[in-house]
Amino acid sequence: MKWGNDLSTFVEKFRQYLKPGYYDEFDYHWTMTIDLDRCTGCEACVVACQAENNLPIVGEKRYAQNREIKWIRIERYWEGEYPDVKMGFIPMLCQHCDAAPCEIACPVFATYHNQDGLNTQIYNRCIGTRTCAVYCPYEVRYFNWFTYTWDEPLEQQLNPDVTVREKGVMEKCTFCIQRIRLAKDNAKDDDRRRVRDGEVVPACVQSCPTEAMAFGDSNDPEAKVSKMMKDPRGYTVLEELNTTPSIVYLKKAHAES
Amino acid sequence: MSISVLDALRPARKPALLGLVAVFGLLIGAWVHGKYFSDRSPVQPIEFSHKVHAADNEIPCQHCHIYADTTPVAGVPSVSKCIGCHKSLPSVRDQPEILKLMAFWENREPIPWIKVHDVPDFVHFTHKRHVKADLECQECHGPVETMDRITRVATMRMPWCVECHTEKNVEHGRDCWTCHK
Amino acid sequence: MSKISRRDLLQYIGAGGIGAVGGVLYSESIERDVELLIPQVVPPEDYSPGIATWYNTVCNQCSAGCGISVRIREGKAKKIEGNPVHPVSQGRLCARGQSGLNVLYNPDRIREPLTNAGQRGTGNFYPISWDEVLTTIGSRIGRLKIENNASRVRLLTGRVRGHLDELFAQFMGLLGSDHYQQYDFTYPSALKAANKISFGIDQLPYYDIKNADLLLSFGADYLGTWISPVHHSLAYGHMRQGRAGRRGKTVQVEPRMSLSGAAADEWVAARPGTEGLLALGIAHILVSDGHYNGSDRDQWSDVLQAYSPSAVSAETDISEGNIRQLAREFGTSKAALAIAGGATTAGTNAVASAVAVNALNHLAGNLGQPGGIIFNSDQAFSATPGTRQAGMQGILDLVEAMEAGEVDVLLVHDSNPIFSLPDGVGFRQALDKVPLIVALSSFRDETTEQADLILPTNTYLESWGDDVPDPGVGFPVASISQPVVTTLYDTLPVGDIMLSLVRQIGGELPMAMPWRTMEEFVKERWREEYEKRGSADQDFEAFWQAALEAGVWGQPGVMTGDQIVPSGASTIAAITNPASQFAGSETDYPLVLHPYLSASLLDGRGANLPWLQELPDPLTSVVYGSWAELNPATAEDLGIREGDVLEVETPAGSVSVPALIFPALRPGVVAMPIGQGHTAYGRYARNRGANPMDLVSMQIDDRSGDLAWAATRARVRNTGERLQIIKTDGVTRTLGRQILGPKNDHA
Repeated sequence: MKWGNDLSTFVEKFRQYLKPGYYDEFDYHWTMTIDLDRCTGCEACVVACQAENNLPIVGEKRYAQNREIKWIRIERYWEGEYPDVKMGFIPMLCQHCDAAPCEIACPVFATYHNQDGLNTQIYNRCIGTRTCAVYCPYEVRYFNWFTYTWDEPLEQQLNPDVTVREKGVMEKCTFCIQRIRLAKDNAKDDDRRRVRDGEVVPACVQSCPTEAMAFGDSNDPEAKVSKMMKDPRGYTVLEELNTTPSIVYLKKAHAES
Repeated sequence: MSISVLDALRPARKPALLGLVAVFGLLIGAWVHGKYFSDRSPVQPIEFSHKVHAADNEIPCQHCHIYADTTPVAGVPSVSKCIGCHKSLPSVRDQPEILKLMAFWENREPIPWIKVHDVPDFVHFTHKRHVKADLECQECHGPVETMDRITRVATMRMPWCVECHTEKNVEHGRDCWTCHK
Repeated sequence: MSKISRRDLLQYIGAGGIGAVGGVLYSESIERDVELLIPQVVPPEDYSPGIATWYNTVCNQCSAGCGISVRIREGKAKKIEGNPVHPVSQGRLCARGQSGLNVLYNPDRIREPLTNAGQRGTGNFYPISWDEVLTTIGSRIGRLKIENNASRVRLLTGRVRGHLDELFAQFMGLLGSDHYQQYDFTYPSALKAANKISFGIDQLPYYDIKNADLLLSFGADYLGTWISPVHHSLAYGHMRQGRAGRRGKTVQVEPRMSLSGAAADEWVAARPGTEGLLALGIAHILVSDGHYNGSDRDQWSDVLQAYSPSAVSAETDISEGNIRQLAREFGTSKAALAIAGGATTAGTNAVASAVAVNALNHLAGNLGQPGGIIFNSDQAFSATPGTRQAGMQGILDLVEAMEAGEVDVLLVHDSNPIFSLPDGVGFRQALDKVPLIVALSSFRDETTEQADLILPTNTYLESWGDDVPDPGVGFPVASISQPVVTTLYDTLPVGDIMLSLVRQIGGELPMAMPWRTMEEFVKERWREEYEKRGSADQDFEAFWQAALEAGVWGQPGVMTGDQIVPSGASTIAAITNPASQFAGSETDYPLVLHPYLSASLLDGRGANLPWLQELPDPLTSVVYGSWAELNPATAEDLGIREGDVLEVETPAGSVSVPALIFPALRPGVVAMPIGQGHTAYGRYARNRGANPMDLVSMQIDDRSGDLAWAATRARVRNTGERLQIIKTDGVTRTLGRQILGPKNDHA
């Protein structure tokens, strides 16, 4: 019995290794859409994430060494020269790729794809080789070079639903898995098998003042994200890499003139 | 004269044997500690007996651990909860342990119980889901109704959790993020 | 098998024994620490361990008045989100609002009443008891009152609204001093003055961006820092993509691209100080090209005669064709809206510029219309928020009074003029003439450091209060502020402190202000308002409970009704040639200094919050510290590279900051964010960067009395030193990677 389990686990792992994201069908397929025509780059999402996920305050010195940890960041791209200069913002966070390069990289299976289509990171298992960060084309994985502390009493704010990470582990966006878990828990309490559309709202999506972001289960054709994904402006970043991200961006529209 | 490695090692035989015995002793010591001295069964500030309450008086678990089926935390009863019953139980009022309880109540101080069942901070564990899945409390906490002093019977470690999740075929029960946070 | 000697046996037993003891000790040493399971003595009624509860209150991080929900677990505040039922924030919240937790749990909060023991300005403070400190202040003020010298008591606050404002007013009124004034650097005084001229209404109207088709913003960073950023962002999102087949367009006129400028379809970098002129140029075309056909067309035509496209083009450095195109779009849009703010309303022409922008709204006919300017005809509590904003003139009067020795007691609450005003104002020096300075504050900012007595206040998350948003949202709304956590330290809510002082001073004050706490006062006023407005089928207690739970009360139905549509006559009469007068000559100071409000730190009040210090500036991605921006062409002319330490010099002073090359800045302008350069204000703010206010010449707009903080010329000198600018951006060009989307159309 026990041996059989271990063997099947091993076979499963091996299949996973050969074909990342091998689930033929996800239970939920958590997907996010970000409308760049609404996004203003105000960074409300950045602070929302910091508050929700216990991101450390790294300090000026560490920041200067590029040791910052921001699970979601706003990338800026300039186009043109003065006076016809344009700024394009794009929120960049873990794309939860269905064919994630980072998952193949990890020697200890600390990052893997789960049944909900989430690219997950297990802190306890991570040994800090940082290979995944090298493999990630979106550069959204962050390494804890230090065990960060909070000046008392700032630590009272820490979210008890999220682990405080220590030195030596990789971390990244989880799509606020604690909120997904809570929503599933509530659904079970109500004897519902499925979570309703809109019941799971990650912190960044919740905070967005222009309602640029939507989040939901793209397995459900009626979900808001499923409809947003069909928008002709939709695209995925670095599509040519075939990572099949779970984040669909809607590109900025242009004024008619 | 032949040269033997064993001969060369002969002077080291006794220290090696002594070392072996010491290591053996070490293991025995660790086992004894685990069995009799560890936190599995710490002495509590009040000699509270689950046997008396749960078995002799047949009080259901959730009469005191009121949050078990609604929140992640089962909840240790408030001092006022203890007093709620004990103020009308004159038969045991003069027992030394009850006097301790009364002292806590009069000083409006909480009782510093020592935690026996604990999981690390990176674990997401919710009593509610387990109670609602019709698990008996005893499946994890052991036959508490037979214990005068609470003893932890399970390791409360990951293999133990996973084993049960596997046996009971819990939906996504072996996904890391079901229990890690 | 050899025999074991007795000696050996004992040795083996000894080894085994030592091993066993070692094993026990080792096991003991790796045991987890004993964790305790502390029960409650008596559990609170609605307590559920491990489950979060949400309490609604009001944000105080800027003057927008967003409703917020605070997530509480086990008595600790964990997260702040927008209150979904609040009409201002509608469930959303900006970075600053969410950082309110850093205010509450800030390590540098004042934890007990402090006295400087007679050594002002040394920064040494000693604990003192509440009784003693209140008695000291109470007797001092009481004596002045008896001597009929109450006007020697002055009260200066930051942005205070709702019934705390009324409490302050009553307090000062009963003392017999009419010297209660507010000063908030970000308050749009000039805009309000212009609206009073144009519309005859002394309030900020509601700008209905949501339903506009064309938004023409003159300097107003409505998405970042102007008036109500969260509400504007919601409106912006809807305007862009919320209406099927109808995407609103935005145009931003400003010398340095702000957050709103980056979002705009068109960014127009007019010559600094000429934005109002550009508005008049557009107005000229609107009238001359027949986009406006009102009965007063001729008057408009006359007054706008001088602002022909060619004349305006020469002044503003915007091409005639561009002006004509803007005018055409503005004239033909179904709902066109123009707003003014930022540097446009911070020149010596501030009011004139805002009036010029109002003229555009007149000509677009959007007053009282959806997608236009909507007046708040009915405010909850008949509130008139912002009327006590003294503006710069008020501060100058106060400084004069202090210098003349007319002030015996100065009470300062939540206002930091020493930091946010130029040194030329002389506020800091004038304080030397005041015998007693009392600060009611949660943090030791620059002004609080100068106080003799510090009364530590609760933060807004620990206080009772209420708020009427300014501007209103078009219908009567009031929000309740309630404590969401128990008070952390030996501090008091500011309202309770004032009521304690009332009892200390005695006389007729306690009779007229009988409330023990702010909560009592607020509830009583709400009861009165409820009896005036409320429905009869609900008693007040039930209403109050519901209002507390919702955090807000409003009457959305009242919105429409009679909108006042003012005639254009007063605007026409007020139109003058708006050209800002800059301090410093062009030959000595070839550049224009453009200070702007930091998107994260605002006017510097956010500098003590670590989350905001670590938040990359939206356009430059810089964290921690200040910088001076130069256009690449200007920088090349001057031989300046990024990271060169510049000495920026103006007629008012000089600061040293590293240079940052910024593509979206008009050549000939040096831009600096406001917010850093604190000399006090806690560990995260102190001694970091430079304060551009040190560079601003003391000039005021004479029509509003407001500080013209964007009317100074500057020069820069490369010191030859280098300093690393800490920023998160690496490559800021997409390099053909199509990160912002495939270029299949509109290429």
